[in-house]
Amino acid sequence: MAMTQAILQAGRNEMAGSVLRADEPRIRIRDVTLSYGALQIIGGISIDIAPGESICVIGPSGCGKTTLLRMLAGLARPTSGAVELDGSVLGGPDRSVAIVFQDYGKALLPWRTAAGNVSLALEARGCPAKERPAIIRELLEKIGLGRHADKYPSEMSGGMQQRLQIARCLAQEPKVLLMDEPFGALDAMTRQALQDEVLSLVATTGATMVFVTHDLEEAIYLGDRIVCLQPNPGRVGRMVDVRLARPRDQLVTREDPEFLRLRRELYDLIKDDHQ
Amino acid sequence: MSHLSMRKLVLGILGLAAFILVWKAVTDAKLVSPIFFPSPERTWAALVKGLAGGPLLAQTVETIQRMLLGWLLASLVGIMLGALIGISRRARVFIAPTLELLRPLPASAMIPIAIAFLGFSDQMVLVVIAFGALWPMLLATIHGFSAMEPRLYEVSAVLGLNRLQVIWKLALPSALPMILASLRLGLTISLILAVVGEMLASREGLGQSILLASRSFRSADLFAGIVILGAIGLVGSRLLSMAERRLLRWQAAAR
Repeated sequence: MAMTQAILQAGRNEMAGSVLRADEPRIRIRDVTLSYGALQIIGGISIDIAPGESICVIGPSGCGKTTLLRMLAGLARPTSGAVELDGSVLGGPDRSVAIVFQDYGKALLPWRTAAGNVSLALEARGCPAKERPAIIRELLEKIGLGRHADKYPSEMSGGMQQRLQIARCLAQEPKVLLMDEPFGALDAMTRQALQDEVLSLVATTGATMVFVTHDLEEAIYLGDRIVCLQPNPGRVGRMVDVRLARPRDQLVTREDPEFLRLRRELYDLIKDDHQ
Repeated sequence: MSHLSMRKLVLGILGLAAFILVWKAVTDAKLVSPIFFPSPERTWAALVKGLAGGPLLAQTVETIQRMLLGWLLASLVGIMLGALIGISRRARVFIAPTLELLRPLPASAMIPIAIAFLGFSDQMVLVVIAFGALWPMLLATIHGFSAMEPRLYEVSAVLGLNRLQVIWKLALPSALPMILASLRLGLTISLILAVVGEMLASREGLGQSILLASRSFRSADLFAGIVILGAIGLVGSRLLSMAERRLLRWQAAAR
């Protein structure tokens, strides 16, 4: 407790004293642990994430991927250590950090149309009613739902619903986009289309992305860096840089020898954890 | 009107006609004394006479007013109180046992208490209606709020919605199917209690009218009152179903 206090205090001091430097990380995960009673879920994770960087988190189930992401979203509180956003300690959910949940069916409002669901984010940040329709149209257009503004989620396919959830997150105008296995429930073709969609969104908005997945190829395809977590308790096993050219391409990138080498490397890593 | 709903309507009318025919057969055969059980023709005649020149129309208006007022009061209080209790887990735990104790109380058991405080007055009847009809709305709202998808609470936290916005934009709409069903139930209870209240407190209305008709063996007038009460219940329930279908369009889309 005393330690948490000290860290919180340090965070405040930094915030008060410093002008953000260009090389300052957007997110600093500082020696974060999380326990439920005697059970330690996360055991000391430290990662710095630069503005505009895309980080993919992989690891076997139970390694705390989702828990880590929930802490970045402010939905779970670290037992010790801290998550910093632009140099100040994250005390709870923050509008500049958006999260895309895997279960789009539960995260969308079934009684609101696509436009209404996007509108919710605008209403939350106090955007004047007159300005909303234009922003909503632009966002839905951007994510490929321009012609489906008046549909209810129940009338949309899984891929469309997940696009809608991403559009709602973009309406927050987030600096950080967190994604929790967002395409895990989608078919392969839809998944690839959405991967490219996300890459271009991240490129145009300059958002920092943390993407949790259990699909190694997805992680390599999307990431600048891959964090491999190990379980019991969750901790960083390896940090792998992805040196593949951008913009990436579903065919060219995936046939790049570097891509294949990385896939092999990560596969061996994960396999060792499973044994 | 679609082919199917036309068919349903025709079948429904045929069923009603069959019911009236059986009624007529029973009275024509004099199975029951006409003093207690009038024929459909006599009931119809009493209905027309009562509505055209007699007191029946004013009494109907009186009863409908009483029912609607009590129902509105119960709905407003029930939904607002339910929202306040439902939004906070602590409030739910604090108040739930008390509610469980009060809920099974028959509203008619409240009548003597209401009489003690308010006498034989319109206010007394109104309070009894509101108390009796409150429960379905209150419990449906509390339950609807607590049954809200937990993921939506997280979405609201990340989007930065304040508590009022969470109630208004997330919890109420997600509880709406349950609340609408309870509104229908509440309307039925309101009608029952309006009639009982009028009977017990001798207030102007259909309840008093059918009680007096029964005491003076005017069976046709008694049945005319009952037919109107049935019609009020039917129309009220139909109107609410229509509102329900409109408000829950998004559910129809799922089917």
